[in-house]
Amino acid sequence: MTQALKEDLVPPRIGAPAPPATNKVPGAHATGKRVGAIAIGAGLIVVILVQLLPFYVALTTALKAKADLSSQWLFPMVGLYWGNFVTAISDGNILQAIGNSAIVTLFSTALVCALGALAAYPLARRQTTLNRAVLLLIIGLIMIPPLSILVPLYSMLNQLHAINSYWGIILVMTTAQLPLSIFLYSSFMRSLPVAVEEAAVMDGANLFQLLFWVVFPMLKPVTATVIILTGVAIWNDFALSVYVLTDPAVKTIAPAIGAFFATQSSNLGAAAAASIMGFVPVLIAYLFLQRYFIRGMVAGAEK
Amino acid sequence: MTQATALASLSRRKSGKTGLRLRGGWRINLLYVPALLLFAVFTVYPLVSGIGFSFTDWDGYSPGRAFVALQNYLRLFQDATFRLVLLNTFIYGIGSTILQQVLGLALAVALDRPFRGRSAARAIIYLPVLVSPVIMGTMYYLLFQYNQGALNDLVVLFGGHRVAWLSDQATAVVIIVVVNSLQFVGISMIIYLAGLQSIPTTYYEAAMLDGAGAWQRFTGITIPLLQPAFATSIVLNLIGGLKLFDMIKVMTGGGPGYTTNSVSTLIGVTYFANQSAGYASAMGVVLFIIIAIFTLSLNALMNRRRLEQQ
Amino acid sequence: MKSRLVLTVAGATALVLALVGCGASGGSGAKAGPVKLEFQTGQAVDSAFLKTLTTVTKKYEAAHPNVTIDLMPATQTYEADMKVRLASGNVPDMWWTHGWSLLRYSKFLVPLQNEAWAKNFNPALAPAMKNSSGQFFAFPVDTDVAGIIYNKDVLAAAGVKASDIKTWDDFGRAAAKIKAAGIAPISSSGKAQGPAGNLADWIAAGAYSKSQLATLKKGTWVDAPYTHVLDLIATWQKQGLFNPDYVSAAADDISRALATGKAAFAFGQNTTANDALQYNPKANLGYFPVPSLTGGSPYLIGGEMNAFGISKTSKNVPVAKSYIGFLAQPANATVLAKAAGSIPGLTNVKPDLGVLQSSYDSVVKPGKVPLVPYFDRVYLPNGMWNTMVTTADAVVTGGSSKVSSGVASMASDFATLSKQSQ
Repeated sequence: MTQALKEDLVPPRIGAPAPPATNKVPGAHATGKRVGAIAIGAGLIVVILVQLLPFYVALTTALKAKADLSSQWLFPMVGLYWGNFVTAISDGNILQAIGNSAIVTLFSTALVCALGALAAYPLARRQTTLNRAVLLLIIGLIMIPPLSILVPLYSMLNQLHAINSYWGIILVMTTAQLPLSIFLYSSFMRSLPVAVEEAAVMDGANLFQLLFWVVFPMLKPVTATVIILTGVAIWNDFALSVYVLTDPAVKTIAPAIGAFFATQSSNLGAAAAASIMGFVPVLIAYLFLQRYFIRGMVAGAEK
Repeated sequence: MTQATALASLSRRKSGKTGLRLRGGWRINLLYVPALLLFAVFTVYPLVSGIGFSFTDWDGYSPGRAFVALQNYLRLFQDATFRLVLLNTFIYGIGSTILQQVLGLALAVALDRPFRGRSAARAIIYLPVLVSPVIMGTMYYLLFQYNQGALNDLVVLFGGHRVAWLSDQATAVVIIVVVNSLQFVGISMIIYLAGLQSIPTTYYEAAMLDGAGAWQRFTGITIPLLQPAFATSIVLNLIGGLKLFDMIKVMTGGGPGYTTNSVSTLIGVTYFANQSAGYASAMGVVLFIIIAIFTLSLNALMNRRRLEQQ
Repeated sequence: MKSRLVLTVAGATALVLALVGCGASGGSGAKAGPVKLEFQTGQAVDSAFLKTLTTVTKKYEAAHPNVTIDLMPATQTYEADMKVRLASGNVPDMWWTHGWSLLRYSKFLVPLQNEAWAKNFNPALAPAMKNSSGQFFAFPVDTDVAGIIYNKDVLAAAGVKASDIKTWDDFGRAAAKIKAAGIAPISSSGKAQGPAGNLADWIAAGAYSKSQLATLKKGTWVDAPYTHVLDLIATWQKQGLFNPDYVSAAADDISRALATGKAAFAFGQNTTANDALQYNPKANLGYFPVPSLTGGSPYLIGGEMNAFGISKTSKNVPVAKSYIGFLAQPANATVLAKAAGSIPGLTNVKPDLGVLQSSYDSVVKPGKVPLVPYFDRVYLPNGMWNTMVTTADAVVTGGSSKVSSGVASMASDFATLSKQSQ
């Protein structure tokens, strides 16, 4: 595990897939090993190319004018066309949308982490029948299709004057992502040794001290996981945000991109350009958190 | 649902409950009250009001609605489309889950050994997870387009005829499953990488000394010790697959006919386009019940597995 | 320690409540002085129509400094969004009615027949927009006069003349020739919902006799003509006249296929043609009248497309009326109708149709081709548009075996929805 953590973060080089693992494995049956390694390397390269393909198509689409009907494989013949990016910024208000998404995501994710970690503690450490039922119920909530609650939720938000407000969408997003956060935190906590906490209790720590000095500091890796999984979901939310946020002043990134597709007309190029701009902040955040990410996932992977 | 839970916890208790003895007893439960408060207001209350609509003939926007008792539910049980769409939902859920486990595990094993560019490879495979499914779906749709699509351009380049990829129900369902799995395979990969790293290398060394081959080591050590990782990964992927919405909307819109809809997309069409909010609400209720039963049985199954392991 | 625990919990709860509280108090706002209107335009954020509307609106705001009009763009969920808002009572002051000012929205809208500009209301819009007592509920920017859109070059290359297509048999022969030339003649879409419905709507408008239409209006369903409609679609399906990607095509794919000569015909509003020009400004497009199934003369479909209504519950109905009066001034209405690319909704406004001008001059202007309303808006109860979409879609994808079940579901929905809308 430590090797992964120590490893330097190499930024993904688009179009230059990683070389396959060849002859690094020590062993006797060298040729057999080599064939296997080459096969694995080839498979990896295929998967990597497949994963990059949608991004490549988004890029060529974003850099072409609407009347340029050349193949998606090709970049524009005569010079790159930046008009889609201009449209995305000036008409689509994408920069403001990115700002809005940043505010909503930041606050919602903070709440998701704080409330999730608090809630997970009793569910992980006091496994009574009641608490087991509560945990199951919470996981069950993830399954509710957003459309089933849309109209009553919208009516209630309207009565609270929460439509087109940051705090309204923040609470809705927090609630929507909280179950996943509780699920991840509680499985991680269960994988932590009880001994540390028992020792702290022996030493006379009260629950407050126990949580803030002993338990929460141990949660760093899983918090990275929670931030990545729920933060991305909040940043990208369309299903509820598109109804709650209609005012361009508060609109987040997904509905803002959606505004290039209306019933009467659509602008794929501008939408692709907007998507690329909206993707950059997430990518940066991911690259920063990546090194903790795998360690956090050990949560679910260990007993 | 309580029955299954009770059973699970009963059997768990018999096998020796692990837990921390804390002063304060039940009061520690207060820690989850804020979360429950949020759920009560923003999820449970709207859900329950939504259930109320399912007993009416409401069109989804007009002020008036009439009480029709269980009529919507009776209609649902005779609705062949709903049965088909329910089946689709499980194909999307289970199909994506299986594909993501197989591919995710393979990728994790391949990317567990150190080599130059390994973290770049991991990051690239994870990239699609970071993109909104609506946008990812649109990009995949561009690839599969008939006249303009990148895939058909390749087919034509190699002398073939353009293919209408999404026009046949079975093919379209498979494509949606594959595309959804590709987008989210990164999550499974990361979970399995984490699992692999938590397996002590000494196990493998010992097995090598005993003369076990690579495959034997994989099935004898890796698979059994990844058991908990399977559970997490499967739960996350199942949820994603069963709730699949945007990908279907963008790829086929549920067509041909209604045949590639999932229950979520069918609820959308019925609620808004078809103006049958009452009927759509009944679908939501039935879906929730079915998924709850499914999840609980899965949970019970996994609990039993875990117990057998202990 | 208990108190600390309670403190933590209380802190977290308070945080949540504070968020709810501060927002709730900030919501109710200014009344006197400045007036702000929310106008849901339903348009894509970069559409030419929205841009023109913005320009005209800025002029209005300049003349009325106390008024702000928020023009809201929309996504593809516009219709659902409007329904959610109507259901919740959070209704915008004004909104785009996209063909539904009477059937779906009239109970939420202010009647406008007494406004000054109403005397110029295009009579062609009356069947679709006016109720039995002469009220109408939206300002019509344009009159949607539509036939079958076609690519002139594709037809010429196949040796077909649009002016020779007078019956569905003619159409079938023309389509067969085009198919023989290697092009899928009809471009439509199941995914985009609308195009399949238009297919049935366009044909159905000429499938019913006068007396049968009267029967429909009285609330009794008539099977036979709709069977003919679906049978005709089934024949086309069998002959392979539809685009191979019918199932998954987006509305954009239809426009692009027309623009690039990969399709010959499309059943839809003229916006399809205008969109096509964005892909290929040189596309040679036009439209011709729809043949009749009953042997009558070919016709054009007319109705409401871009129209704006005012909410009954708006606190600023007079301001909204003054704003609409401004939009209805000939100079403003002209640029709006031009941006929409179709015939104006008021008779005192000059049409400027761009590429479709020649079709207008030869087909509409002489006034010999009858204009019939959208079939579903006038003869079917509210809610049946979707049934038309799904029944036509089922036949395009499933063939003649889906005809009888399609007619049956039309009959049963007609019965339940007539009852509901009474």
